Amino acid sequence: MTRGTLIYIVQRLAIIVLTLLVVSFVVFVVVHALPGNAFISQRVHGRSLQLLLHEYGLDQPVLIQYWNFLKGAIHGDLGVSLYIRGEQVTPLVLRELSVSCELGGAALIVTIGLGMTFGVLAAIRQNTWVDYLLTTLAVVGYTVPSFVIAGLGIMIFANFLGSVTGGAIAYSPVWTGTYGTIGELWLPALSIGLYTSGQITRITRASMLEVIQQDYIRTARAKGLREWVVTLRHALRNALVPVISILGTTVVGILVGVLVIENIFGIPGLGKEFVESILQHDYNVTVGVFTIFALLIGLSNLAVDLIYTVVDPRIRY
Amino acid sequence: MAIPAGPWLEYEGGTLARQQVGLWRDGLRRLRRNRLALAAVVYLGLLACVCVVSLFWTPYNPNLVGACPTYALPGTPGHPLGCDDLGRDLISRLMVGSQVSLAVGLITAAIVVVLGVSVGLLIGYVRGVVDAAFALVINVFYGVPPLMIAIVLYVLLGPGLINIIIAIAASSWMDMARLVRGQTMSIREREFIEAARAGGARTGKILFGHIFPNALGPIIVQTTYVVPAAILTSAFFSFLGFGVPAPQADWGGMASEGFSPLLAGFDPYILLWPAIALSVTLLAFNFFGDGLRDAFDPRQRR
Amino acid sequence: MTRSVSDPVLEVRGLSTSFFTDDGEVKAVRDVSFDLAAGETLGIVGESGCGKSVTALSILGLVARPGRVVAGEILFKGRDLLSIGREELRQIRGRDIAMIFQDPLSSLNPVHRIGAQIEEAMRAHDKIAPREVRPRGLDLLRQVHVPDSARRVRDYPHQFSGGMRQRVMIAMGLSNRPEILIADEPTTALDVTVQAQILQLLRDLNRDLGTSIILITHNLGVVAGLCKRVIVMYAGEIVEEGSTEQIFDSPQHPYTWSLLRSLPRVDADRHERLRSIEGLPPDLIAPPQGCKFNPRCPFRLERCFSEDPELEPVGDGHIAACWVTMKRAYAEMGAGSLVDTGPGAASGVRPPIAPVGPDLSEPEGQGLAPEAHDRD
Repeated sequence: MTRGTLIYIVQRLAIIVLTLLVVSFVVFVVVHALPGNAFISQRVHGRSLQLLLHEYGLDQPVLIQYWNFLKGAIHGDLGVSLYIRGEQVTPLVLRELSVSCELGGAALIVTIGLGMTFGVLAAIRQNTWVDYLLTTLAVVGYTVPSFVIAGLGIMIFANFLGSVTGGAIAYSPVWTGTYGTIGELWLPALSIGLYTSGQITRITRASMLEVIQQDYIRTARAKGLREWVVTLRHALRNALVPVISILGTTVVGILVGVLVIENIFGIPGLGKEFVESILQHDYNVTVGVFTIFALLIGLSNLAVDLIYTVVDPRIRY
Repeated sequence: MAIPAGPWLEYEGGTLARQQVGLWRDGLRRLRRNRLALAAVVYLGLLACVCVVSLFWTPYNPNLVGACPTYALPGTPGHPLGCDDLGRDLISRLMVGSQVSLAVGLITAAIVVVLGVSVGLLIGYVRGVVDAAFALVINVFYGVPPLMIAIVLYVLLGPGLINIIIAIAASSWMDMARLVRGQTMSIREREFIEAARAGGARTGKILFGHIFPNALGPIIVQTTYVVPAAILTSAFFSFLGFGVPAPQADWGGMASEGFSPLLAGFDPYILLWPAIALSVTLLAFNFFGDGLRDAFDPRQRR
Repeated sequence: MTRSVSDPVLEVRGLSTSFFTDDGEVKAVRDVSFDLAAGETLGIVGESGCGKSVTALSILGLVARPGRVVAGEILFKGRDLLSIGREELRQIRGRDIAMIFQDPLSSLNPVHRIGAQIEEAMRAHDKIAPREVRPRGLDLLRQVHVPDSARRVRDYPHQFSGGMRQRVMIAMGLSNRPEILIADEPTTALDVTVQAQILQLLRDLNRDLGTSIILITHNLGVVAGLCKRVIVMYAGEIVEEGSTEQIFDSPQHPYTWSLLRSLPRVDADRHERLRSIEGLPPDLIAPPQGCKFNPRCPFRLERCFSEDPELEPVGDGHIAACWVTMKRAYAEMGAGSLVDTGPGAASGVRPPIAPVGPDLSEPEGQGLAPEAHDRD
């Protein structure tokens, strides 16, 4: 890693911090401007409500509240939950982050694995039925909403397969806990990953088709390399650059998928928490989830930029 | 890879014959490619008809609870698609649901085009501090999933179809603005803009009279993708419980309602109909967009 | 060369390659036959699009879609490369017949190190023992005069200059000690001084290692500096073949003659202008009737529009396909004093049917446009 790269990383980290500040501020202000507050649904009124508001500092001006939030956030303390009163937000959010990361990671593996495999196969079998099948699948993948795919999956694997095999082989759409949950994880992961892998398939195919035309592929063949070496080492390696450039978008797509899919399968991750916290006006949790999502996106974009330099030696920062 | 024998073998030699082959083969390919787009247009036309009809007439009142037995299976006399858990007629609800999807898709796209194009034109043309400020805004917007922004905005604005549209438009106009900004920046360097400026044309005239028409192709193509994206986002909204207020029917919300019977092991049709309607509509918009892109963006043509 | 020409290492027989495009079949190479003796240096010259590169690619089976070899035999030591299996052909590529290409930047993979690209050429075949691969890679770079080669093997192509890249390509081509090296416009993308160095390198390799070289170029000067024998191609066909002396001293095809006239010469009369060849190469989908060169030929006869000439011997090991060979042209039409090289200039023959472009059918001069002669 060169000095230039290090400087670049530091710059990018600074931008990420700046983005986090802006995002958290905007969200903080907006969330506090939402009609109603966390205690109304808890049937707290009158004097006791005033006391509660004071206890949590909610009677102060929003800017002061944000300043206090920020002071805590620097030390990693995102405040306390208002809905489950007194619960610390940081450990809560981190616990849910681990669940979401498990799901998102599985979805990312599905995305890249399926997407690139399909893309390469479609490209080297261009204009054959393999190509048509895979590109159609890709289009369906990124058009059909993820909850529809999830629904179809449940229909087939939980209900149909369950009734056919008398429950012996059946997918159970119930979250049983983190880790060691591949049995529960794969259908949600597939529901998310099919969408994002559609994009990857499309771009991998287009990129491969372009790279295959290049002179250096002819050189590789002229050297007498085996066809799979030409395809993987020479073509795919070069075709990766545009694929990586959309990985940032892919991560955002996966996070959106996580948001939706967790709510279907009842997976206790950040996505489920986000929706609940908004409905419950649990301000600190909403801001915390937002901040973590922004951090994830910022870091993955930075990672993408760094992967660039590994894949294409011509790119230097 | 061997090339299969084709019509060229019958037309060897001769300039005239070659042109015929070229036209014929070209036309054939375009037809084959656009058959999907054509089918998409036909479907969307039908959908528009259904939507208009549903404004005035549906087989049953779509919000009437107990119009038929709860969980009536598809094929029940008078209820071809069956009924939901509250005994509402599904075909009526499906018809009415198209209103929300089409309204969200089309109106959002219109807002995004107006907003994105104006902002993009202005920023691309003025550049400088304005552009830097825009870059910052874009960075922040791209730093969080647009769906989350839209949801928070919607909750802030309060329930209602108009607010859904505003929330989605506000969270998705930057892509268009960025596209138009890029187009503007490249077009403004071309000679005819220089000539127009030298001729004393006003900035507004240059932006909308000269730059905008030249950027129209990519704008139209981008617009065709904004429509399905907005429909999809609104479906996510309803699905997560941030949709149009009950009892108004919309496909995302209907799919959401279909999930609990499905998870409970009941028949899947309550989920199936809105899922199919939504998927086919989104596919149709995408195929239509692809067809338009082929027509408008020659670089993408293969 | 002491080896006899009767023992060719490569025989190309009736090779035809076509590209099947949407507009029709482009017959890029038509019925091309030639031999290459061991240790020989053969030049193939012609304008771009004349089929010389496609001929080379056909030999290695590298013609890309929608192109395809439609007829012929390519015998490498008696084995027909067109009928052997894919795997067998792969083993010959790079091992026995190597090829280097015109643009060394686009021909090297941008994401792999130079050293790795050279080494993989050797690892793909069994000719070089695995433990010799790395030292030999370094050695090759030294052989092609890449300075500081020990360090530069770890560099990427974009860190090399054009000439250095071409040296790398040559090192890669030579890595398996091939019997034939096909060089497709190896110097076109390079500066003149670098061109000379690369040619010197190829000359040395031919002399020291006995590698047969097929040099493909549009530049006759490059051919003169390296090749013993020359093939001239036009519109996918061989129009003339002979020793370098024969081709340069007594060209027998008007196209060769025109090519030579388009060469800048140090000893040329100062007032003599360079003559570019009038007109454009023919449409390969629907080439002209008869001789393909007839729309541009200053010596054309009526016959040239109806019958396609065959390759006929015109000297010792010298063949040409022309109804009016240059010998006759010199004698009867005065090719030596011909200033106007426009179509049909010498014989005054106009085509029976007007070709597409009006300027091609109009024989220039003869008082029709006196001001054209007054100028200059």
